Amino acid sequence: MALTRRQLLKYSGLGFLGAVVFAGCRIPEQEFIAESPVMIPEDLVRGDDAYYATLARPSTGVESVLVRVMQGRAKKIEGNPDYPMSRGKHSAQAEATLQELYHPDRIATPLRRVGERGSGEFESVSWSEALDELARRLEDHRGVPDAVAIVTEPLRGALGTIVDRFAENYGARRYSFEAVDQTVVRTVFNRIYGQERLPTFDIQNAHYVLSFGADFLSHWHAPLHYNWHYGEFRGETGGRGKLVQIEPRFSLTAANADKWVYINPGTEGILALAIAKAILDSGEGVEDAALAAFINNNAQDAATVADLTGVKADVIETLAHDFAANQPGVAIGGGLAAAQTNGLFNMTAVYALNALVGNVGKKGGVTFNPPAPVPNVVSSASANSLTDFQRLADDIRHGAVTAVLVHGVDPAHGTPGSMQFGRALRENAEFVASFSNFMDETTLQADLVLPDMASLESWGSDVPDPGPGYEAVALQQPVVMPFVEGRAFGDVLLALVEELGGSMTRQMPWDTMEAANRSLAQEIWIKNRGSVRSFDSFEEFWVAILQRGGWWDTNATGGAPQAPDVSQDPGSAFPSFTGAAGDYPFHLLPFPSHSMGDGSDAHLPWLQATPDPITTAVWSTWVEVNPRDAESMDVREGDVVNVESPQGSIEAQVYVNPATAPGTVSVPMGQGHSSFGRYAEGGDRNLMAVLDAVSAETTGAFAWGATRVRLAKTGRRERVRKFEGMVVAQTLPHRPVYVISTGNGNGGAH
Amino acid sequence: MQLRPALTERDINRDLLRPVLATPIWFYFLLGGLAIGVCTAIGGFAWAVNHGTGVYGINRPVMWGFLLVNFVFWVGISHAGVMLSAILRLSNAEWRRPATRAAEVLTIFALGTAALHPVFHTGRPWRIYWSMPPGYDFGRGIWPDVRSPFVWDPTAISTYLTGTTLFVILLLIPDLAVLRDRSSGLMQKVYGFLSMGWKGNTRQWKLQIIAGFLLSALILPVFVSVHSIVSWDFAVQIAVEGWHATIFAPYFVIGAVHSGVAGVISVLALLRWMFRWENYIRDDHFDALARLMIVVATAWFYFLVIEFFLGIYPAEEPEISLRTLQVFEWPFNATFIVFLLMGYFVPVPLWLFRRVRQNVALMFWTTLMVNIGMWLERFIIIIPSLMRKQPLTFSWGSYNPSPIELILVAGSFCLVFLGVLTFSKFFPIIPLADAKEGVALETHVRVGKVMVPAAYREE
Amino acid sequence: MAVERKWGMAVDADKCTGCQACVVACQSENNIPVNEPDHFLQRRAIQWIRIERYWEGEFPDVRARFVPMLCQHCENAPCESVCPVFATYHNNEGLNVQVYNRCIGTRFCANNDPWNVRFFNFWEPVWPETLRNQLNTDVSVRSRGIMEKCTFCIQRIRRTTRDAGLEGREVTDGDVVPACVQACPTNALVFGDLNDHDSQVAHLREDGRQYRILDHLGTEPSVYYMAKIDPYAAEGEHA
Ligand SMILES: Nc1nc2c(c(=O)[nH]1)N[C@H]1C(S)=C(S)[C@@H](COP(=O)(O)OP(=O)(O)OC[C@H]3O[C@@H](n4cnc5c(=O)[nH]c(N)nc54)[C@H](O)[C@@H]3O)O[C@H]1N2
Ligand code: SF4
Ligand code: SF4
Ligand code: SF4
Ligand code: SF4
Ligand code: SF4
Repeated sequence: MALTRRQLLKYSGLGFLGAVVFAGCRIPEQEFIAESPVMIPEDLVRGDDAYYATLARPSTGVESVLVRVMQGRAKKIEGNPDYPMSRGKHSAQAEATLQELYHPDRIATPLRRVGERGSGEFESVSWSEALDELARRLEDHRGVPDAVAIVTEPLRGALGTIVDRFAENYGARRYSFEAVDQTVVRTVFNRIYGQERLPTFDIQNAHYVLSFGADFLSHWHAPLHYNWHYGEFRGETGGRGKLVQIEPRFSLTAANADKWVYINPGTEGILALAIAKAILDSGEGVEDAALAAFINNNAQDAATVADLTGVKADVIETLAHDFAANQPGVAIGGGLAAAQTNGLFNMTAVYALNALVGNVGKKGGVTFNPPAPVPNVVSSASANSLTDFQRLADDIRHGAVTAVLVHGVDPAHGTPGSMQFGRALRENAEFVASFSNFMDETTLQADLVLPDMASLESWGSDVPDPGPGYEAVALQQPVVMPFVEGRAFGDVLLALVEELGGSMTRQMPWDTMEAANRSLAQEIWIKNRGSVRSFDSFEEFWVAILQRGGWWDTNATGGAPQAPDVSQDPGSAFPSFTGAAGDYPFHLLPFPSHSMGDGSDAHLPWLQATPDPITTAVWSTWVEVNPRDAESMDVREGDVVNVESPQGSIEAQVYVNPATAPGTVSVPMGQGHSSFGRYAEGGDRNLMAVLDAVSAETTGAFAWGATRVRLAKTGRRERVRKFEGMVVAQTLPHRPVYVISTGNGNGGAH
Repeated sequence: MQLRPALTERDINRDLLRPVLATPIWFYFLLGGLAIGVCTAIGGFAWAVNHGTGVYGINRPVMWGFLLVNFVFWVGISHAGVMLSAILRLSNAEWRRPATRAAEVLTIFALGTAALHPVFHTGRPWRIYWSMPPGYDFGRGIWPDVRSPFVWDPTAISTYLTGTTLFVILLLIPDLAVLRDRSSGLMQKVYGFLSMGWKGNTRQWKLQIIAGFLLSALILPVFVSVHSIVSWDFAVQIAVEGWHATIFAPYFVIGAVHSGVAGVISVLALLRWMFRWENYIRDDHFDALARLMIVVATAWFYFLVIEFFLGIYPAEEPEISLRTLQVFEWPFNATFIVFLLMGYFVPVPLWLFRRVRQNVALMFWTTLMVNIGMWLERFIIIIPSLMRKQPLTFSWGSYNPSPIELILVAGSFCLVFLGVLTFSKFFPIIPLADAKEGVALETHVRVGKVMVPAAYREE
Repeated sequence: MAVERKWGMAVDADKCTGCQACVVACQSENNIPVNEPDHFLQRRAIQWIRIERYWEGEFPDVRARFVPMLCQHCENAPCESVCPVFATYHNNEGLNVQVYNRCIGTRFCANNDPWNVRFFNFWEPVWPETLRNQLNTDVSVRSRGIMEKCTFCIQRIRRTTRDAGLEGREVTDGDVVPACVQACPTNALVFGDLNDHDSQVAHLREDGRQYRILDHLGTEPSVYYMAKIDPYAAEGEHA
């Protein structure tokens, strides 16, 4: 059929009209939904995943976690919902241990030093070679007693047992290292309450928490667990509690406190005793003659206290009254308050306060943790004090210690610069072996590196310290195949046992860490109580306990506390500081970096990039200065200053912090690694260079809060790496970002 | 009214076609210099495509930077063309004659250049056609969201560009015929093709005039819509207090006219110097344009003040903080002062004096000043507003342009001038026919002892 | 399904300690590239959830307020209407969805997002080869030149819904847990279906302390905040 032009026009016009009408009649919604070949990403879900319970071991403490595994790769770390210390939650630090597993700078094979010590020149060797060499070296050193030192992180569980027994049988010295140690608090609990293990503060059920320097929401003891406690404390369980933080630094806990009370550094014990005295005098305290005598003997008069502490007398009066009236409540001490030369006195005073209000061993107060259910497993590992490590460094220098085995810690970075720990290893040690995954500053001095496995690749166990208040054991299982040619530290030691033979073999009858942990589990199985029980065969029990990530028994609580014993001398009430106030006008208030702690997590990029909650700073060392101090020194944010103490100095960027007290400055620990993988390296801003290696009286603990500093301008300015914007963030009155309720009325105070 | 020599058609052809038929050597150097600028900018854009949008200085929350400032600026400049041609043609203002084509050509190149900026600016420029009418990717189900001003923009701009281009071509036809008759070889063929068989008979003239009037009338609403829509790019954004103002559309349109007419005056002054066209672009033309400028500038200034006061009237802190930033804080305080002086307070009082209005050099510099001021105006509207978005002070930020952005901005100026100059190399930039018509309609009247040329209005 | 879902979140500002667990959990779950030092200096760091810290007062009466900030999944999302290509749109579960493949990178939506929670990929994201092993296979890695933001962990919603469908059961309150909510040790974050009147988040919406940030803009955010309680705040100082 021939089509005329007119027809063609007509038909195409009709067709077009029809198309328009047709299109118009369809539901336009269909068109708007972005269902299209390019939709993909928003709901991309494929593959099957598996979840395994195991342990993550970040610097904030061991956490029981579930790991999501897909196609043989660990994808995500999540809290173990069953485990009493985790309750389905996990910390930023635990999450980031994934990056330890897949870190690009993880040591992939055993290494033998070929260049100078500290030059970083190593050759790759096979495991059999490495193990042979290690065995040979250990044979060589075996004759001389105490010539070998084994330095690890405080180890608990099966590995703790193995290392301890190995050291004992071999005749090696055994050291546990923590840059920020808990020695003082442990000593005080041992002295007053006869406890070997750390207590748990039942913040969840407390109505009132009086914290002296314990930054339990950030990096003190068990921050994940205490954050969970805090959430309950703020509502769900029986009303909203009150938190008062007494501390010279505006820590994360101070920021979350209902009231932050600034106190002159080191005078916390004096204040605690003044509060105790006020309670005692008001007759609200428990009747205990020894306790009363201790308080009366040591407390200063009110005017002196106000003068020394900088806390006004009426505030002290109010604190005393509130604390006594709002029981159950708990007084917590630690952090900066313990890290003073008079730390023992401070802690003794604070923890005596708990006895005075009678909340020890009670709900909402101080609860004690029973030892492990299995007698032979290490359930508490206190770190050695700074004095111990000073002696170790000296012994290495004098040749008393000739070989050092180090695992999981980096004392060359984490001890005060003046101790020269790394240098002692480099120049004086005959043999250094490191079992580290990373080329940290201590491993850099090693002759032999035998890379460990990540916790997600290996077997292990843990007895939480502090625990949940009852018996608990957590289990660690490999959830992915090893990513590198590592070998678990415990397995290496067990292999050595075989080589070295003798009585060791009897004491450690296991071939592998897996066997060691199975035998631990076997002992629990036999008890037939607690969260995983009633299995006829051990194999079934074993699977069940691995599935749940551990075992606990809520009925097996800590024993009744002994009557408080305050008879031992707590030492001087007064702190002393390095650096004359005239030359060094500022109290230096160091703090473990919120995300990276003392620096042992500095190699993980997620943690480097996690904003400090207060300053939002990342990837750097900064110094927090009060606005008025900054003005009088004429420094602004980003100015690079030298933080100088009599011991040394580092550069840091000024961050003007409205909450920093005048006359104090704060610097985070954790940076300044000269060697620790690509994300940690760069710069020499390690706070340890500034801190004086001063030990506290009696305990020998590191008094890291006892250094005074001055700031010297360098004239340079670097923009501060931080997440917040370009102005000091404040809410604007008419359009508040956040709403404050005073808690009475407003409906929501629970 | 001033004295001027009587011009014959021959004079007009000779003078106005001079750049086309006998191009001076310096002209090529000028073109070459501009072309180098354009090539540098192309290199800059290639760098951005290669490395990512990160090479610009934008950040969170200042997601739009110099490229958007420059986009608004060029759209603004493009408003001169229709403003002059259409309005003046419709109202039959005699003094429009030499200015119209320069204005229209400036429109085309300014608009084309402006349209490139969103391409430079987007994260995936190779996909930008997804937001443009000719490029909707229905095959992949990429439907445009007609609620987005980013869809209105390309629609309005392409309409305006099409209309203006038609307008220029239409009015160019008689002149092309002249060129056809005066050139030889290949060029003759090209001009012959372009002049579409123009013979200059009555019917053709009649059609051309009618079409011209129709297009003028049709383009006017488009011209108003284009910059209104550009203003809506900003004004629809409830998140940015500094932009979210109902007054934005007329404010932007009048601002565009302000900078556009100033741009035309600058170009006319340049052309007059370059091609010694004193007899065509006369002092009284500048005088008339400057009078227009006074009115436009003052209207614009009124909107500026109103916009500012409406902004601070509710006395909300984010808005107050934004205004404080714009007016008092470094570097915006300096920018603000320069902007006010250049955009209004220096040129407008000067234009009140006839001696200034009729002084080409002064007109050139004052109008240049206006455009510097207007560029800064867009900068002050766009950047600080993003720096102070909402009361969420935690995210308040800042912005520094990157070298690549500076290169692209400079390149855009080169591109526009390169376009205008290249056009003037191939086509008469003052309409011959219009000039002749002016002469034809002209008569001489006796003023005192001399005969003075005077124009009749058509009835 | 009888009633359409409308996912929402409740954020108890009184519980949030600023611990940043949510931040890292989100980075890990959603394949957010490592924020390197330069990204912070360029102000281009990407964190779908962040803890905003606001200062109040001067020493010694100084306070720091923490406000967890993430996409509010506005019912009338201003970011959506300005997107020329429907790269961001509202789905029928109340989510503000980002379709990476459609996005052309105009950054229009980021400007019109009052909360500044939209993040642009200024650079191609890079991970060292080994770290790529951790990437979540449920979540696409975004290329440069496009916008991204909190999705309320849509992959978890999808997976949970799919699994529930396979098992023939309904998705109930608490089944879907975004990564940040899962991590949050203080339980400051609660997620759920606002249309389910028995859900925890629906209950919290009725709480007396409830408020929404920038409520006056009328965007109807799906994130409800619970006021911070400060018994020592000066009376009448705060609205
Ligand atoms: N262009 C293109 N695309 C396609 C297809 C196509 O034909 N062409 N086909 C489609 C089809 S049908 C399929 S099945 C998919 C396949 O797609 P992919 O799953 O990507 O398969 P490959 O690229 O073959 O291999 C994946 C990677 O596994 C590594 N590999 C090899 N052996 C091992 C091993 O033992 N362990 C580990 N961990 N890695 C190993 C390889 O080196 C490679 O890098 O691609 C689909 N996409
Ligand atoms: S997803 Fe596969 S099939 Fe689709 S475009 Fe990419 S390579 Fe081709
Ligand atoms: S919070 Fe911002 S990004 Fe999220 S839906 Fe609302 S406007 Fe869009
Ligand atoms: S940046 Fe992407 S999502 Fe945002 S408006 Fe542009 S195209 Fe849409
Ligand atoms: S809901 Fe998911 S995507 Fe959104 S902030 Fe939380 S973890 Fe990130
Ligand atoms: S995890 Fe919870 S408590 Fe911690 S910062 Fe995030 S919202 Fe706050």
